[in-house]
Amino acid sequence: MEISLLQAFMLGILAFIAGLDLFNGLTHMHRPVVLGPIVGFILGDLQTGILVGGTLELVWMGLAPLAGAQPPNVIIGTVVGAAFAISTGVSADVAVGIAVPFAVAVQMGITFLFSAMAPMMSKCDRMAENADIKGIEKVNYMALLVLGSFYFLWAFLPIHFGAEHAGAMVEALPETLIDGLGVAGGIMPAIGFAVLMKIMMKNAYIPYFILGFVGAAWLELPILAIAGAALAMALIDFMKKSEPVQIKNEEAEDGI
Amino acid sequence: MGSSKNSKLNSESIVGEDEYQDQSIGTELTRTDINKMAWRSLLLQASFNYERMQAAGWLYGLLPALNKIHTNKEDLSKAMKGHMGFLNTHPFLVTFVMGIILAMERSKQNVSSIQSTKIAIGAPMGGVGDAMFWLTLLPICGGIGADLALNGSIMGAVVFFLLFNVVHFSLRFGLAHYAYRMGVSAIPIIKANTKKVAHAASIVGMTVIGALVATYVNLSTTLEITAGDAVVKIQADVIDKLMPAFLPLLYTLTMFALVKRGWSPVRLIVLTVTLAVVGKFAGFL
Repeated sequence: MEISLLQAFMLGILAFIAGLDLFNGLTHMHRPVVLGPIVGFILGDLQTGILVGGTLELVWMGLAPLAGAQPPNVIIGTVVGAAFAISTGVSADVAVGIAVPFAVAVQMGITFLFSAMAPMMSKCDRMAENADIKGIEKVNYMALLVLGSFYFLWAFLPIHFGAEHAGAMVEALPETLIDGLGVAGGIMPAIGFAVLMKIMMKNAYIPYFILGFVGAAWLELPILAIAGAALAMALIDFMKKSEPVQIKNEEAEDGI
Repeated sequence: MGSSKNSKLNSESIVGEDEYQDQSIGTELTRTDINKMAWRSLLLQASFNYERMQAAGWLYGLLPALNKIHTNKEDLSKAMKGHMGFLNTHPFLVTFVMGIILAMERSKQNVSSIQSTKIAIGAPMGGVGDAMFWLTLLPICGGIGADLALNGSIMGAVVFFLLFNVVHFSLRFGLAHYAYRMGVSAIPIIKANTKKVAHAASIVGMTVIGALVATYVNLSTTLEITAGDAVVKIQADVIDKLMPAFLPLLYTLTMFALVKRGWSPVRLIVLTVTLAVVGKFAGFL
């Protein structure tokens, strides 16, 4: 079965919408079980779409973006995979194999986008300084548009030009550079923390910072456990200080 | 807090950088305001990036309410600047944090207490939310949906979509209202002990940041030292044994020192990307 230009375009639009839903909206219409039937409907074979969607759902189950880590991209994997399965008649598992290079390439691309968005943050700082509400909103909308268009291209191109041609494009990407950006992405939260510490850090809090670090680095405790322990320390501190304060009672009453 | 050189000329020096000029309680937020915030929270990760993660999307969600609360433009700017700080919380449970933060904003708590609270509540949500949504709700709904789909029924997609989103949206909106009400009713206690509450919030906030540095900053070296036949891997054999997450800590503290010396985040990003790409090409990262 040939996929027409219009159909490829519509699948691209579907990837645009689903791509936004993966991080924003989160209605999970981007899961294979929903996307499969929609791809089938666009290509005029709803029944195969439903079956492929069900198979891919099981393949991708458990692959969710946990704590900022990027799993193989479920949307491109499903849209491209299901389109191949329906148009060529291969089984869903084989179709996934064809789609995986694109799913991986999209993952790298998202790493790149998330790095490229970082310099925008200083611009947002300046907008915040000027209480520029429209500006902050515009940055968010533009970022959505860029992300969605990126998904559109990665669904449209492989489907329209065929997997072999698009596969060559994937291989042309300089791997070390992409890896380097991935490494940079891993380090970059340090800058965010540094800015945050500039606001919040006082000498009195250094011991608590150390305790938190020790808990996570050596003891490998979950953040929730560390927050719980920190809450206990904060409560001890909160209750302990209520007694000595009474000596300076006059001052305290003045304050209120 | 270090004072800046020009602050004595500035009228702000009377009030202090950390406090809002207008200390009167802000306009009451209606159900519509909270619902608007919950809708906007869907775009929490619109401008996700590796430096501040969800910061700008988080601010996007709060903006209409902040604009209503802070009628003074300088206060609005102060609030917005604070909320541009690093944030990574769970995209489903975020409205719980937002509700509490808006209650604090409305009663004009200090910027640093608000930011400490944001981190103290928001950061641990990640683990809770992952367990609730991605390890429980999604596999359950997906399993039911896939089973129906493999029997050839379109109901697989429909059941999955409805089941998932009934839970999703009732939690998102329910938590928003619950947290705001809870925050508002806790405000008199907070008001009576402002300094102590701020201190307590900072204790939790800084502890969590210490933990986040060790968890979220990923930096390790592939360097090896070859001495005769023995190969010593710097990361696995030396750093991990002595002090895991040593490199992330070192890098964060270096960034902190540079930020304090007035380096802009853009310069730090360029520095970081250059270091990472060069490191990858040279083979030590």
